Order: sequence, then C-alpha cells, then structure tokens
Amino acid sequence: MDQNRQGARASYVALAVFVAGWILLPSGVRRLNREAFAEFQAPALHLLGRSRDLATYWEKRSRDAEELSAAGRDLARINAGLELKLKMLEDVRRENIRLREITRYQASPEYLTVVARVATRESASWWQRIVIRKGRNDGIRPGAPVVFGDAVVGRVAAVHLSTSEVDLVTSPGFRCTAYLEGDELNRIVLVNGVAAASLGSAKARVSVIPHDYTMPAGQPARVTTTGMGGVFPSGLTLGTLDGAAYATQVGNFKESLLVPSRDLYNLQEVSVLVPLKQNPGEALMQADQFQ
Amino acid sequence: MGWAWLFLLLATYPWLLGADLAGDAFATSGLVFFVSGAVLIAPCRRLRRWQCVLLAAGAGFLFEARRPIPDGLLALPLVGFAVFLSTHRAWLRSTPRMLQAAAAVNALACLLWSAGAAHEADLPLAARLGQLALQVFFATVLGAVALVPLALTQNAVMDRLGVPPPEQP
Amino acid sequence: MTESPETKVLPSTPVEKIRLYGVFCLFALGFLYVVAGLAYRQLIQAGDLKEQSESQSRRLVLRPPARGRIYDRNGFVLVDNRARWSVQADLAALQKEFRAEYLRLLAAERARQAAQVDAERVMELARVNVLQAWLDKIWFVIDETQKPDVRRSRPTVRSSAEPATARKVDIEELRRHLRERRALPFTLLSDLALPGAGQAPTPEDGMRAVARFIEQFPVEGPIRLESDIIRTYPHGTLAAHVLGYVKDTDDLPPAVQDFDESRAGSLQKLRYTGKTGAAGVELSYNNILKGLSGWELWTKTSAGYNQTRLKYSEPVQGSNIALSLDYRVQLSAEAALAKIKDPQGTPLPAAAVMLSVDTGEILALASQPSFDPNRLAGRISQADYDEVEKKGAWLNRATQGLYPPGSTFKVITAIAGMRRKVVDWDDILECGAFLRVGDHDFPEHEPVGYGDVDLDKMLAVSCNVWNYQVGLRAGSDALAAESRRFGLDSPLLDNPAHAEGDGQPLTELPFAASRGLVVPDREYKLRIKAGPWTDGDTANFSIGQGYLLTTPLHMACVAASLARGETRTTPSIIHDVSRDGTHRGAAPIGLSRVQLEALRGGMVRCVEEGTARSARLPGLPFAGKTGTAEYFKKGQVAHLAWMIGYAPADNPSVAFAVLVEGQLDTDTWGGKTAGPVVREMLESWAAVNGVRLAPAEPPAR
Repeated sequence: MDQNRQGARASYVALAVFVAGWILLPSGVRRLNREAFAEFQAPALHLLGRSRDLATYWEKRSRDAEELSAAGRDLARINAGLELKLKMLEDVRRENIRLREITRYQASPEYLTVVARVATRESASWWQRIVIRKGRNDGIRPGAPVVFGDAVVGRVAAVHLSTSEVDLVTSPGFRCTAYLEGDELNRIVLVNGVAAASLGSAKARVSVIPHDYTMPAGQPARVTTTGMGGVFPSGLTLGTLDGAAYATQVGNFKESLLVPSRDLYNLQEVSVLVPLKQNPGEALMQADQFQ
Repeated sequence: MGWAWLFLLLATYPWLLGADLAGDAFATSGLVFFVSGAVLIAPCRRLRRWQCVLLAAGAGFLFEARRPIPDGLLALPLVGFAVFLSTHRAWLRSTPRMLQAAAAVNALACLLWSAGAAHEADLPLAARLGQLALQVFFATVLGAVALVPLALTQNAVMDRLGVPPPEQP
Repeated sequence: MTESPETKVLPSTPVEKIRLYGVFCLFALGFLYVVAGLAYRQLIQAGDLKEQSESQSRRLVLRPPARGRIYDRNGFVLVDNRARWSVQADLAALQKEFRAEYLRLLAAERARQAAQVDAERVMELARVNVLQAWLDKIWFVIDETQKPDVRRSRPTVRSSAEPATARKVDIEELRRHLRERRALPFTLLSDLALPGAGQAPTPEDGMRAVARFIEQFPVEGPIRLESDIIRTYPHGTLAAHVLGYVKDTDDLPPAVQDFDESRAGSLQKLRYTGKTGAAGVELSYNNILKGLSGWELWTKTSAGYNQTRLKYSEPVQGSNIALSLDYRVQLSAEAALAKIKDPQGTPLPAAAVMLSVDTGEILALASQPSFDPNRLAGRISQADYDEVEKKGAWLNRATQGLYPPGSTFKVITAIAGMRRKVVDWDDILECGAFLRVGDHDFPEHEPVGYGDVDLDKMLAVSCNVWNYQVGLRAGSDALAAESRRFGLDSPLLDNPAHAEGDGQPLTELPFAASRGLVVPDREYKLRIKAGPWTDGDTANFSIGQGYLLTTPLHMACVAASLARGETRTTPSIIHDVSRDGTHRGAAPIGLSRVQLEALRGGMVRCVEEGTARSARLPGLPFAGKTGTAEYFKKGQVAHLAWMIGYAPADNPSVAFAVLVEGQLDTDTWGGKTAGPVVREMLESWAAVNGVRLAPAEPPAR
C-alpha cells in the first residue's frame, strides 16, 4: 500500500470535524477569515488598477500632439459651459435652501463624495460587481450609493481596508425605488437586478408599474431615483425603460426591463456618496454583523 | 520545507489573478474564468498532505473573498479534493491522468460554487440550469488548459524549494 | 512504458472467468430491469405520471382583478386603486431561527424548573419571538419618528397607544395561518404605506415608508416584499356613505379565460384574497366594478414556492362608474355640516342632500358622522369597527335616517288643503296662540299667535295654527293621500343595474330606506295598536309631527318636485348624460297657476324675511322652508333642525334638504341651525356653475 495513504482516513475525519466546526463557528470568525483573504489580495488589486492606469497613460502618451491639443480644446469648451452651469446651479441651490427653510421641508440627506478608480470587474450570471480602489480607510461604508455623473452605478456591498466591492444596478442584490418619466402621479416602481440568462448581459427589472402608465411617445422613458428611501439622492438616472420589453402584465401591474444608463462594464472611475448620517438600514446591517 | 505551500500559493496567485482579469475582459458575458481547482493537481503529486490541504484552503478562500458565496463553500471541498488527490498519488502519475484530474476537480469545484452562488442569490437552481451547465463545461475545459502553465510554474517553484519529485511507480 | 499492476485485470483462470460472467449476467439483468422499468413508465404509465407530476409540481393561482374607478360627474377621481406593498416572512426559511429560539426558551424553562413544559406553547412563543424580532427590524427601518435628526422640522402628533398594537405580531392570525396556509409566507405588515393607523399621516409619508423599506432593508433573507392592488379613497371620509368600502372575499369574480376545470381539479389551488363591495356604491354596483379574475399556472419548488409561470391569463379591471356627485359641492356640504357642534365640540349627527331639479341627479349627499373607507379597505380591525359603531357612523342619515319632517311638511298640508278646496291661496285664517282640538291645546310656537295669516305669511313664519285648521278641514286621509302622491311612502334610488335575485341590492345605495317609511293613517294606528285615530293625530300630522317618518332625501325630492310643479322626482346617484328629465310616477301637482305661484312666493319670502333668513344669499333668491321637529331622545324632547328648498327661485336648478339631529343640550332650530349649511352648499354650487352672487353684505339680523 502506498505509504501516503496512511492516515488518509484520519484526514477525512479531521476534515469532517473541521467542516462541522466551521458551520457552528460564530459568523464573526468566518467573516474575519474572509476579510483576511480579501486584504491579502488588496495590494494585487491596487497594482492591477494602477497598471491599468499606466496602460491608459501610455496609450495617451502615444497619441499625436495634434490630436491631444484638439481634445484639450474641446474639453476647455465643455469646461467653460459647465462652469457657467455651475454658477447658475449655485443660485438655484441657495434658493432651494431658502425655500426649504420657509416651507420647513425635510432636507434630503447629505453626502460626502469619495471618488474612486475601478480596479476590476467581477461578474457571473448571479452577481455583477466592480471592485474599487477605496475602502474603509477612505471613509466608505457599506450600503452607500455609487454613481457616475448623474447615473446610478450601484451600491457598496462590502468594504475592506483599501478596496470595496460594489453591487451594480443589474446585480440581484440591488433594489431601489424609482419614478418613471411620464407618470404625472409620481407613483413609485421597484427596480431590482436579475440574474442574466446564459451568456446574455445582465439586466435589471422594473416592476409594479401602474397599469395605466403609458410611455411618453418618441423617446425611451427615463427611470430616476425617488430620493424617498433615504439611500439614493433624488433625480439620479437609473436608466431607461426597455421599450421592447414593455408590455408584460403581471397581475394588476406591468413589468419591464431597465437598460442601465452607462455601460456599467466600461467604467474607469466612480463616485461613492457616503451619507453623513448613518441610516437605519446601515445600522441594522452593522448590528447584524456584531451580534 | 514547511513553508513550501505558502510559496507555492504566492507563485500560483498571479495565475489566479490572471484568470480574474480574463473574466473582467469578458464581464458582459457573465462567464467566470475558474481555475482554482486545477491549481491543486501538480502540488498534490509532491507536497505532503497537510501542505496540500493548506494550499487548497488558501486557493479556495482567495476565490471566495471577493464573491458573494457562502464562506467555505469552495475552500472546504477543495481541501477534500486535496486530501483525496494526495492520498491517491498513483492516479496522477501521467500527464493525461493529470489533465483528467484537473478537468474533473475544476468542474466539480465550479459546480459547487455555482450552486452555492445561485442559492445565495435566492434563485431556483433549476431556472439557471443552462448557465450552470455552461459554467461547469467551461470550467472543465479551462481546468485542462490551465493545468499546463500552472504545473510548469508550480513544478519549477517546487524544484527550487527542494521538494522531492513525485515517486515513480 | 512498463505494464502497471492495475492493467492486469483480465481474468486468466477459468474460475475467475465464471465469476466474471456471473457478474456480467448480474449487471445485464439489472440493466434489463432498469430498461424495462423505464419503458413501462415511459410508454404505458406516461399519461398518468405526467398528470400526477403536474398536479404535484404545479399550482394554479387565481388573481383578483383591480376594481373599476369611481368618478364624480366631472371626471374627478373619488375612488382609485393604488399599489399596496406588504412584507411577508418566509416561514420555511425561518425554520432554523424558530428551532434555535425554541431550544433557548426550553432551556430557560428548564432552568426555572417548571413542572410541566408545554412544548406546543413554547414552540408558538418561539415563533412569535422570532417574527417579532423581524417586525421590530422592519419598524426600525420604516419609522422615521424614531430618528429625531431625520425629521426634526416636522413634528407630527400621534397617539402612543396605536403603535403598541400595530407593532405586535398578531398571534391569532399566526395560529390561523399555521393551521390553514402553512406553506405560504406569513404577512407581517399588510400595508407598508399604512403601517399603523395614523402612522403615515399623508400618502407621501406612506410612500416614504415603502421606499425606506425597499432601499434599506436587506434584500436577502427570510423577509420578502410583495405588491398588489388595494382600493384607495383619496379624499378619506368624503362621501364615504355614498362610496362605501370594500371587504375581503374568497369568492373571486369569474376568470377571464376559463382554464380546463377537469384538470384544474387535481391542481393545488391558491386564491389570493379578492375584494368585494361592502357598502355604498361599491356594493350596489359591485357587478360593474368588480372586473374579471386572471389565473396563472406555476411550477412550484419542492419547498412549495412558485417558480416558473407556465401559462396565464391576466385579470381585467372592472368598469368605471361616474357618480352624479359634484366633488366640490359635496366637499362644501360636508364642511358646513362639520361646523355644527354640540357644547362639547362634537359635530352633531346631520345629513345634507342636494339634487338637480331637472334630472334628479344627486349633486351632494352627506351624512355625519362619517368614517374613513381607507381604514376599512383591508381586514377591518375591531378597534376601527367599534369606533365607527360608537359614533353611529354606519348609518347613512340622508337615505336611511327616518325622521319626522316637522314644519317642512306644511308645504304638503297647504297643497292638500288647496286641492281639497278647504282653503285658497288668499284665504285669511285667524291664528291665535293655540288651537283646542278635543281636550288638548295645540300650541303656536309664537306665544301670542300670528293673528291674520294667509298662505304666504304661513310659509314665511311657519304658522302652526293655520296648518291645524287646514289639516282638520281636509282630514287625515287627504294629508296621507297627498303624502303618498309625493312619494313619501315609496323607496327611492331604484337600481336598474341589477336584475332581481342576483344577490345585489336593488337600490343604488344599499339599504336606502325601503322599510320604515311611515305615512300614518287610521289603519296604521290600529296596526301598531295605538288606538283609534283622533283629531289630535290629524293636527300633529298637519305640522309633520306624530307618526310620520321620512328621510332627508325624500324631502329633497319633494322640494325638487315642487320646483318643477310635479309630484315625483326620481333621484339617482349615477351620472347619465342621456337623462331626459322625466320622472317615473310624476304627475302635475294639481294646483292652479296662481296657487302654485303663491306657494312658491311664500317659500321665497321664508328665505328673504322669514324663518330661513340665516340662509339668505344676496344675489341668489331662492325658495326654502324650515322645520323644527320634536323627537324623543332618552325620554326627553330634543329637536331636529330641517330645511328644504330649491334655487334659484325663478329658474329652479337644484333642490336641497338639510337635517341636523339636535341633542338634549343643544339649541337646535330649523333655520338657525340648518340655514348656514344650505347657504354654504348654494354658495359652492353657484361658484361651480358660474352663478354670480352679489358682493357680501353684513348678515341680516
């Protein structure tokens, strides 16, 4: 008999005992283990992200000077336009604050914006995530909304020391409320990610659409956040209603698919909106972790 | 050489990361480039059993760390495979056998985490059977394909570390 | 390559060969058995098995439809449907938690050395504890009031008693659920937007609670979010008695497209609870509003949950209904009624009706106290039911309340007198402080009497003695006949939508008075064993007292008929543009033109300078007649304030009746109490219809 087979049975028994112990172990220990392995990988992910940046840098360096100066000119023009808009927005913001004070209207939650580079994308049909190169050290907390421009990218699912994982809008772990463009009554609908079919790209589902809702003619209807749930600021774009899929009646409601507003898989940089005040959902998540 | 397994894990990690990168490039398709099973084959021919076990656990937990699947769902079965493979070394004596083993172990491990992920995502397994089959098939092929570079790297590292070569039957 | 030991498996000796063939045979037999079994199942038993597996793994779900909307006459939505978001606990997924809690409780019980441990009770307690913990988490997320910093700027007043019950797991409900629907998820909160009474004071607060749950509560786990349609009454108590409310029912409307019943028999069926009308138009027009059910055929998982929808037919929403009510007039009527309060500040029971003179369409029908149909739309809580019951708010006082009409009846006495030719419009009767009938003095409400009184003055000052005299001259039979001619004994609001016998009410509003109306006569008094009819009874009858009982709607119809010079008005709560203004059973009133003009003139004078002065509207002359009827409350006399009439005086468009039930401690008088309500209703009617009123002047004293 192979010498190596000696003690095999003992090994299996030990494994079985370990598995049993693993299941009975407090979840905190398992979480610690997971955390340790995530941290182990963090430098590599940072390196990966930086090497991507480097590749982009060299790609840019290889561009023709003419081309670059043209791009610079275009950007300057856009910049000027945006500056102007910013000035106007500042006025609007002040007026908004004043009106809120007069009407004693509930102030929307305030956020701290953390800009983060994308390290890697992680997707299977059962989840769609990106890993960003900012983490607990940068003040990111789980549950915080992640946006790019005015478009919702997703929500922070897990936070490590210097990296975080973000559930994309199309991930089954994502759920939020939304308004549909063209619904004057502002009735809320439900948006949640669904697992993709084989090899297909993941989509999100828009459900509980009122039966009498009709899409505005001509353009796809925008789906925007409501700002009522205390997580997402209001008015951010989640995407558009998939016109082709807009017909399914489910019970007394309609259902459709959401076409995310950005190509979620080609993001280079995102902003994490960390709420200044902890919301109850986050408190609940934390309590669960330490119970 | 007590720390051989750790050095081996570190030497293997770039390949695991490479697989993730490939997955990143194909992100829209939802395919996961899974090679964590194939990682075990070459070390299990030469390392001692406990070292194989640690290597397997390491590889498994590394995969789980960034993915929403239940803790230990991949790592513990990989440990089981490691115990089995290191016990039946005779089976891995030839290259075709190694390829077979890599494909089989990779496929089984992939099946486990996929099922676990579907469970975690609260999706009925049957509804996603097509995707599951595709993923497992892909993992089978990938296991066999990835074994060659993996084994070359791992053997080279083990040679340097002075791990005795596999016993010839 | 050297031959390895394992490759030497081929048998070399005969003994081994036999063994090998034996093994082969064994395998062959086994294989044959499997193949035969497979063939048997596939070819012979296939049909049966298929059906069996279908019935085991499939489930038929019946989906109730959304009910039709209810609009007012201008297309304003009075009753709508909204999404209802409910939170359910997946009991199967909670099994582990139940078990852990059970063991913990058991250990605690043992530690207390309880003599007898009732395992069943402990298990129930464990379930309740676990569910309660989840419910607390849900409340933690959706309740904004717990976090003062979130909403510091908007203080809301809530009673502290309510959350205590709303935030507890309903143990009775849980028991019932486990008995009857164990495999289904248990509903923890049936309506997130209306979690506890008063918890979500505005619809927006309700929506915020829903949004908070959706965005903040963990997606994974045993707590699920479900949505369906629920009836909503956006204006709360507005016209609640007309609209009614809905209740849960297991009898769903028929399905859109019939599934094969023979096959459906073997399927496990799941009915979602539907809604059916329980009162008001919701009940009487249920057939129109209810729609058609849908069904879905689902495969189910081994745990019993729905998995894939195989076939379905979607529910069809019920038809919409347009009521004849005018939202704005209704609103002003209810607001005006709400201002009449007793010394403790509680609004008095009251009713107000306004209808179109031409078509009989009811523009406003208010009854106070009222209830909020939203609170009754789901399962009615005992507390809610008791509250409505205690207030006496179930009764629709405008159509079901039976009252003596008091002096408003004098119009009919006058008509009876003139038609019997015992008095004419210009006859002057001597009216003292009382009239002696038999051995009783029947009093005037003016201590010194009114002296010489003609029809015009009688209507203006509401002289009793004039009516006693005319009533006695005409006789009780004439009064009763005239009352019947005006339909005071006939039920109103016939419902043409329902053929007799389909279980639906035969009137447009359920229980619109069809029993209890009394037009007294000699037979009636004998029937109720009150002795023979006397002249005193006739005198009482002539001023609308005594045995006569009618409803405010009837009196409004009398006023509308008078305005048209006819005897009957057919009121309706349904808006129909094709109504031509003819009324069933209507006949000319039977007075000469002069007599009719005098009657109407008297009613106008009543408003201009008589008992109804408080209702006067500058710029809009109208006809009215007040009444203060006596009724007994707890053995003592209290007063009912009445006012009926029509407007405008020269070209009648709407007729109205207002009734207020005075209490023992209230000072309730016809014109003084009911007049302001009439004025507000007419003001809002005028505003809606673009009738210009004169600029406001100080109220006439």
